Amino acid sequence: MIKFPPYLKKGDTIGITCPAGYMLKEKAQTCIETLQQWGYDVMVGKTLGSASATYFSGTDEERLNEMQAMLDDESINAILCGRGGYGVSRIIDRLDFKKFKKNPKWIIGFSDITVLHAHIFATCKIPSIHASMAAAFNDGGAENEYILSLKKMLAGKKNKYKIEGHLFNKQGVASGELIGGNLSLLVHLIGTDSEINTKNKIFFLEDIGEQIYAVDRMLYQLKRSGKLDELAGLVIGGFTEMKDSDRPFGKTMDEVIKELLSAYDYPVCFNFPVSHGKENYALKIGANYQLSVGKKMVQLVEL
Amino acid sequence: MKRKDFISSIVPLGALFTTITAGKIPELEEMGSQIPAYLKFGDTIGITCPAGYITLADIEPAVKKIKEWGFEIKIGDTVGKRNFTFGGSDEERLKDFQQMLDDDQIKAILCARGGYGMVRIIDQLNFKKFIKKPKWIIGFSDITIMHSHLNRNYGIASIHSKMCNSFPADWNLAEPVQKETIESIQKCLAGEKMRYTILPNGKNKTGTAKGILIGGNLKTIETLAGSKSDIITRNKILFVEDTGEYLYSIDRMFWNMKRTGKLADLAGLIIGGFKVKPDDAGEEFGKVLEDIVLDKIRDCNYPVCFDFPVGHQKNNFALKCGVKHTLSVNLNECFLTEII
Repeated sequence: MIKFPPYLKKGDTIGITCPAGYMLKEKAQTCIETLQQWGYDVMVGKTLGSASATYFSGTDEERLNEMQAMLDDESINAILCGRGGYGVSRIIDRLDFKKFKKNPKWIIGFSDITVLHAHIFATCKIPSIHASMAAAFNDGGAENEYILSLKKMLAGKKNKYKIEGHLFNKQGVASGELIGGNLSLLVHLIGTDSEINTKNKIFFLEDIGEQIYAVDRMLYQLKRSGKLDELAGLVIGGFTEMKDSDRPFGKTMDEVIKELLSAYDYPVCFNFPVSHGKENYALKIGANYQLSVGKKMVQLVEL
Repeated sequence: MKRKDFISSIVPLGALFTTITAGKIPELEEMGSQIPAYLKFGDTIGITCPAGYITLADIEPAVKKIKEWGFEIKIGDTVGKRNFTFGGSDEERLKDFQQMLDDDQIKAILCARGGYGMVRIIDQLNFKKFIKKPKWIIGFSDITIMHSHLNRNYGIASIHSKMCNSFPADWNLAEPVQKETIESIQKCLAGEKMRYTILPNGKNKTGTAKGILIGGNLKTIETLAGSKSDIITRNKILFVEDTGEYLYSIDRMFWNMKRTGKLADLAGLIIGGFKVKPDDAGEEFGKVLEDIVLDKIRDCNYPVCFDFPVGHQKNNFALKCGVKHTLSVNLNECFLTEII
């Protein structure tokens, strides 16, 4: 049974923690102010702008303890991860979700936070929010439609995303639970307790800064581990800042994906605004969505 | 002391063997290991490109040297072929490899180089004839997929070693380590019992282990999880190496190995060369490779040997995957020895 966390009411508290990479406090200032303007109180964890001199926002213990405290603290109604980077894999197996399972709350983030989303849905069946994190609020970001989609989602309103068609799209209508995130992390989780189940799901993927051959290899891993076999539908997000090898791969990212998907019949939409770029709509992992891929338009609607 | 990572055929093994068996060693897993026939003078080795492309000129030094060893060479259609980064299209690479698997005249298959591409053809390869009459398949890096696949599915041994692109253009100008490593391929193929001596690293965990040797490129191993080629490490001596990865990425890969249960029941662990990509400024990872590894196996008691001469480096000796070895890690010296 899927158990949805309660949506937020005015006066509820959002905790901000950094379970992975280091983040300067200033970089989260606009985010904090914006969340306050939305009517929420904000509680900032010590890992944000910590004294850490390493890649991480704190030691494993510091990051673990803070995430655990925020999971368990009943006065915190949602947890926004300050940023991704790398680090959740190092603490995930030591997090205790017992209390969280009884009193679930929304966990928000993407990229490295894919590990949390996948793990929580695989082990607790609790939905969470794949969305932009603190830095995306800067430079006018707080007012863009992508951040506003998160605002709407936290308040419990359902989003309906409409985008233009793409030459490689495969038409059709599918509905199912939504699952997905960052491709590198999703394949990294195969074989672990956090591995995702994609059967009958609408599956979404995005990535950044990878070599095209490496994405091809990851897609082959998805295919060979059966993750692409029984999807309801597939949503290809942004593959930003891709690199090519000295000996060119000879295909664009979209062509690589299209070629691999030729064996499957379900609807597929390319270029969906879920990415490491500005275009990053909030998506509710574990919620039911309908994906309609038409000739000219694509819709992804929460049911 | 001269760095002693050279190979010698095993003469003094008797003594060593006695010492080992005197200790307490867990029972070997009773898993059949099929060793292909070793090569005889005049046997033919096929060269093919299952992954990246290579020119005919680039395999010349390998062809020359292998002929000097007394073997014949059959050059596959994919050598000299190019489809962008690949040595021909998927179909062409598949066909060439399949022919070499099925051709009774070919006694061993040497992959010309790695790169990327084996995963795109492995599920279409038909091993039916090969498993009845196995032959040595040789390579590393991307070819790790084949080693893991053969070990998992058929228990057939294969050779993890340098490929055509690592043969020195001028043998006379080659460094001793280049010669020794290339010659270790010949020794493997000829059926010599292999023995490797490794200088100790202060972070090694001492002990003795017996098990089937398996391993290869860490990134490649990680990408096999959940597939038909996924590596089985239980009761085995696992070796890993990698190149061009950030420390954080290496850390993440070892978490993957741990979280998928691949580090829990090893007989022993061998860490080869890791050519680490330097951290970006401001993103310093702050841990060295040894600690990244040891962090993941705090609860494990098997021996661990760092700095083993295997990897994307000159110091890359041929190893027989799927063959039983003894790993002996002592304070002063470490050995990896093929079990007779």
